Amino acid sequence: MLKGHLDAIVLAALEAGPAHGYAIIEAIKRRSAGTFDLPEGTVYPALHRLEQAGLLSSAWTTPPNGRRRRVYSITKAGSAALTERRKAWGRFSLAVDTALEGGRP
Amino acid sequence: MSGPIDDYVATLHRELDFDPALARRLASEVEDHLRDAAEADPAWPSPEAERRAVERFGLSREIAAQFAVDAVDRQARRTWVTLAVTVVVTFVAMRLRVIWLDDDVLAPLTNIAPLIDRYAFIAALTVGVIAWFAFRRSLAALAICLGGLVASIGAGIVRADLFASGAPVHVLLSAAGEIALIGVLSFHVIGLGRRLRHTALLRRVGQ
Repeated sequence: MLKGHLDAIVLAALEAGPAHGYAIIEAIKRRSAGTFDLPEGTVYPALHRLEQAGLLSSAWTTPPNGRRRRVYSITKAGSAALTERRKAWGRFSLAVDTALEGGRP
Repeated sequence: MSGPIDDYVATLHRELDFDPALARRLASEVEDHLRDAAEADPAWPSPEAERRAVERFGLSREIAAQFAVDAVDRQARRTWVTLAVTVVVTFVAMRLRVIWLDDDVLAPLTNIAPLIDRYAFIAALTVGVIAWFAFRRSLAALAICLGGLVASIGAGIVRADLFASGAPVHVLLSAAGEIALIGVLSFHVIGLGRRLRHTALLRRVGQ
């Protein structure tokens, strides 16, 4: 179930600012309080897919005392897509909540 | 001496060999990730810390398979766009030939070339439209479309005897455009076939 929403979760993790792959997966784990403990490598196909779709951009950077890293940033199109996905998720989760609450058919 | 991270990165690089640029980029990125993860492990520095980082990352074949599936989708999109352009150009070229032939070099009615020219094109168009709605990743459907267009274009060129009959420049140019597009389309269909085979192999071995 998580897989279908991974792209939106990755976009949301990058909303706070640019980050590299390891930081993104750590942010996802932290924000979900450890619930989304998915294999770390699964984030890379999502990052690549989002970049191909123009929702993310990326560039290599080399910090003064560190290794060369590829850092991802959310684009304007990515922010717009995230807003849309939040709205869609809101409608969907409301419908599921209502259905699960039971009551009269 | 290589450690678990080096081995993992080398394996992933090999499994992504369907896209060398992606393989190079991802190998570097994943190595960076794994070294960060290993350094955050309480057992760092040790092969055990590297092994745990690799385990948390997931099976290289599954990650490569996800990239391969995305590559199939992209290749399929490129192939369909090229097919659509080829169909339009073939239709225009066919009309230009017919207009010119009507004026000058009417082919004999008994000749089979005009029939192949027309009906192979219609078959390619029909299969293409059906496949667009139902089987967008179908290599067989794309191969049928390609075969139909090759037959149509070949028959059209033979019918008009283009290279010997002093056809006007616009007719020759449209035929050259058809041939060039068929080349590009063949290249994309072959590429899609390779990517589909690669994806199937990664999935099968990963099971």
